[in-house]
Amino acid sequence: MARATESTLVREDTSAYEAVAGLTVGLAAVLFFLALAALVDIVSLTDTVVGVPTLTLLGTLLVVMGVAVVGFGLLSYREVFPTQPRESAGLIAALLFGGIWFLLGALVGSETLGLGPLGGLVVGLVAGLGAGAVTAVPREDIGSTLPAGALALVFGFVFLLGVVGPEWSWSPANFPDDQQVTFFARSVAPFAVQGSALVVGWAAAKAYGGFGARGRHFGAYLLVYLNALAIIAVLVALVAFVVFKGFVPVTESVQFGLGVGPETTVALFGFSYTVVWPVYWPFLMNGASLFTDITGVFPAIVGTAWLVIGAVVLAVPLGVGAAVFLTEYAEQGGFTRVVEVATNALWSTPSIVFGLFGAAFLVPRFTPQPQKSLLAGMITLGFMLLPLVVITAREAMVAVPDEYRDASAALGVSRWQTIRSVVIPASMPGIVTGVILGVGRIAGETAPLLLTMGGGSFVPAGQRAKVLNGFQLSLSPPFVTNPELTQATTALPYQLYQVVLTGTGETAGVNDVLAFGWGTALVLLAVVLSFYAVGILTRQYFRSKLKYE
Amino acid sequence: MKSDTYTARMRADIARRYARSREFVADTPSDALAVGTLGTLALTGAFVGFLTTSRFTSLAVVAFLLAVGYGWVRHQELAAKGVTLAMTVSTVLILSLITVFIFVEAWPVLADRTGRVFGVPVPGLEMFTTTQWTPAVAEPKYSMLPMIQGTVLVTVIATAVAGPLGVAAALFLSEIAPEPVREVVKPGVEILAGIPSIVYGFLGFTVLSPWASDQFDLLGQGTYLFVGIVVGLMALPTVVSVAEDAINSVPESMKSGSLALGTTDWQTMTTITVPAAFSGISAAVLLGVGRAIGETMAATVMLRNSPAIAEPLYNAFYGFETLTSLIAANYGTSSGFQQDALFVAGCILFVSVLVLSVGSQLVEERVERKLGSGE
Repeated sequence: MARATESTLVREDTSAYEAVAGLTVGLAAVLFFLALAALVDIVSLTDTVVGVPTLTLLGTLLVVMGVAVVGFGLLSYREVFPTQPRESAGLIAALLFGGIWFLLGALVGSETLGLGPLGGLVVGLVAGLGAGAVTAVPREDIGSTLPAGALALVFGFVFLLGVVGPEWSWSPANFPDDQQVTFFARSVAPFAVQGSALVVGWAAAKAYGGFGARGRHFGAYLLVYLNALAIIAVLVALVAFVVFKGFVPVTESVQFGLGVGPETTVALFGFSYTVVWPVYWPFLMNGASLFTDITGVFPAIVGTAWLVIGAVVLAVPLGVGAAVFLTEYAEQGGFTRVVEVATNALWSTPSIVFGLFGAAFLVPRFTPQPQKSLLAGMITLGFMLLPLVVITAREAMVAVPDEYRDASAALGVSRWQTIRSVVIPASMPGIVTGVILGVGRIAGETAPLLLTMGGGSFVPAGQRAKVLNGFQLSLSPPFVTNPELTQATTALPYQLYQVVLTGTGETAGVNDVLAFGWGTALVLLAVVLSFYAVGILTRQYFRSKLKYE
Repeated sequence: MKSDTYTARMRADIARRYARSREFVADTPSDALAVGTLGTLALTGAFVGFLTTSRFTSLAVVAFLLAVGYGWVRHQELAAKGVTLAMTVSTVLILSLITVFIFVEAWPVLADRTGRVFGVPVPGLEMFTTTQWTPAVAEPKYSMLPMIQGTVLVTVIATAVAGPLGVAAALFLSEIAPEPVREVVKPGVEILAGIPSIVYGFLGFTVLSPWASDQFDLLGQGTYLFVGIVVGLMALPTVVSVAEDAINSVPESMKSGSLALGTTDWQTMTTITVPAAFSGISAAVLLGVGRAIGETMAATVMLRNSPAIAEPLYNAFYGFETLTSLIAANYGTSSGFQQDALFVAGCILFVSVLVLSVGSQLVEERVERKLGSGE
């Protein structure tokens, strides 16, 4: 009996079939990246690659792969190589192939054959239903290879026979003149090639696994891994591009050495002490001025720092307090439910709505005349941070085991003492991580600042927010005033938006402005991502401690 | 009959609460009660003072701080409870204030543009029966339709990007990726969420928009298509993290049971894990849609900021204005009805995102009930 089971589990030698299928997957990858290179103009469609015109090369590769994939299906169907196909390729595959072929059919029917929208619909339906039926009705090895291979073959022959040459273009006739779109071969062909490469690669991966459960596993994993890879690639490309563009403007004429930097005077209770910085970094230490060579973002950095401080001071105590009440005091029921829904709703409220709220609620309240102010910006961002603090603090407190509380209560201490000396310390890692990540988010927030705080496109260093020196005491209410807090200032994301506005205006020296923008973007990215890096590292540190202790 | 028992229950409830509060008053030292009342009054006073921009707001704040300080020294236990309650209430209060203020500010233009349906006045109807946004002419029109079209197009494209890719990435992170790969990809996705929207916008404005105009031979710059793709990239991390939580919450025993029957990993995922986590995954997509609707800066920077209808309605290659970019681009320079109309746009955004958020929470609650907690 055991022998019988064994013999069905061991697969016969299919190494040749598998090798060819694996090779096809690799070829699909090559084709995909070739098309990507054509899309971003690294490879020109009108030129040649290794002596062959680009489009001809792409077409040939597509035809080869289409033939290969159809071949896998037929070989498997004729049982030349042993595979384990299912009865059908499944409904999802049928819907996808049907969708692709419907679009293709509709476009060809209405535009190339000139049958109009209705004719296009009919041709599309025929093609779509046909492809869907071919996918769903026959056995899996035919169903998942024929429509895929046919797609590659159609595109391949279209490029090979010059139906779509390098100079091909098409504009839909029903678009109005002032909203005209033209599709050129240089953008359509790479997209078509990429799409077919994905589909063909998937079919080849299925063939590699011998169809059936194992084949589906390979096909799906190929796509899922590609997806993850693409996300990381996009991330790396984004960050690398900003660094590449911003590095030169940010590091222009940085000097190190004793006494090259600006002076900072610390004055406290009548004593004053002057520090001369050992580094002069113009982009970070200058403001906008006619007298310095390099326009810097110093006031914006100061503004962002104050914003973050203000928001944290407002939101963290409030949020942690609310979380304490919700987890430790309140009965879990209607009220906690309402608060939970409210905090989650606040968390997903768009930032621009917070901006509107700040403009309507905060801006008119601090000065006799409504005016944008640093304080309004701080409070608006604090309100945005608040729900995140409540949510993460609550999660962290709920995660503290009840044994801790019971043990503390058994010692006879009061509830508040338990909270203060057991619950809050135990939930600290979660709260700290949440706050750091939240700060990273609000530090880059722009939209609310446009409505509540931002003023001045390029601010001189002297006009930065000098909050500490601005406090004034008086004997009549409100006793403490600080004009620095109640006037408009700038911040890094706001500064970047101003660059875009100036850029659209095409004023003098646009190139300089753009370089300045890339520099600002790099500084902003560095600030925000360092918050994220610290937050993620903190979390990993605490997690590893929890794991090994 | 039914209502009778209901009122009786209400009465009993009120009586019980009354008795409980009397008990609380009797048990609490009188100085704590006095200070608590003073603190509550002072806090209310400070709030009212702030609303009316009174100079005496700071006096009320000082009074509140004094009351809290006294309570902290003498009755720390009660003071802590009271203060945390006040903090909770203020969190809820902020949401209600947001709702009230944006609707109050939006009301004048809504009242002015009242239309009639079968003789019944509907405030704001005229903002939805024209297609023109012309604030600078003699009879200004403030139609929301161009912006709604823009927001819908951008959101649909963004969801098409963020939905499938996000769910696939969530599956990858929670079920497929080996530990070392996961350690790289998960922070990577989080950092993607951390890149400020204005940086995405700046990249889009300087690189993507000119490239798109050149590729498709467009007049001018700004397409809903590429804004949608960028916004989809920004909504992706939301989808990934919420969907990953949902997939992780599927009990391990269910997956093991399936694997023990000899299925492949992928079969277990498609037949057990994903169907079990389906509502959680749809909640993730809903939240992603909410993020996409509310995304502001990328749209503001990449679009043309001149409200118009793109024709035909699915023409995503021309991007004019979304609800969010309308507010961001026009707030500083508008006044009167035009400014109120921006608040109308804010109301539409707020309500639609609120509906999505509450909807996804209801869905998630269902998941928890279905799968049980913590198993």
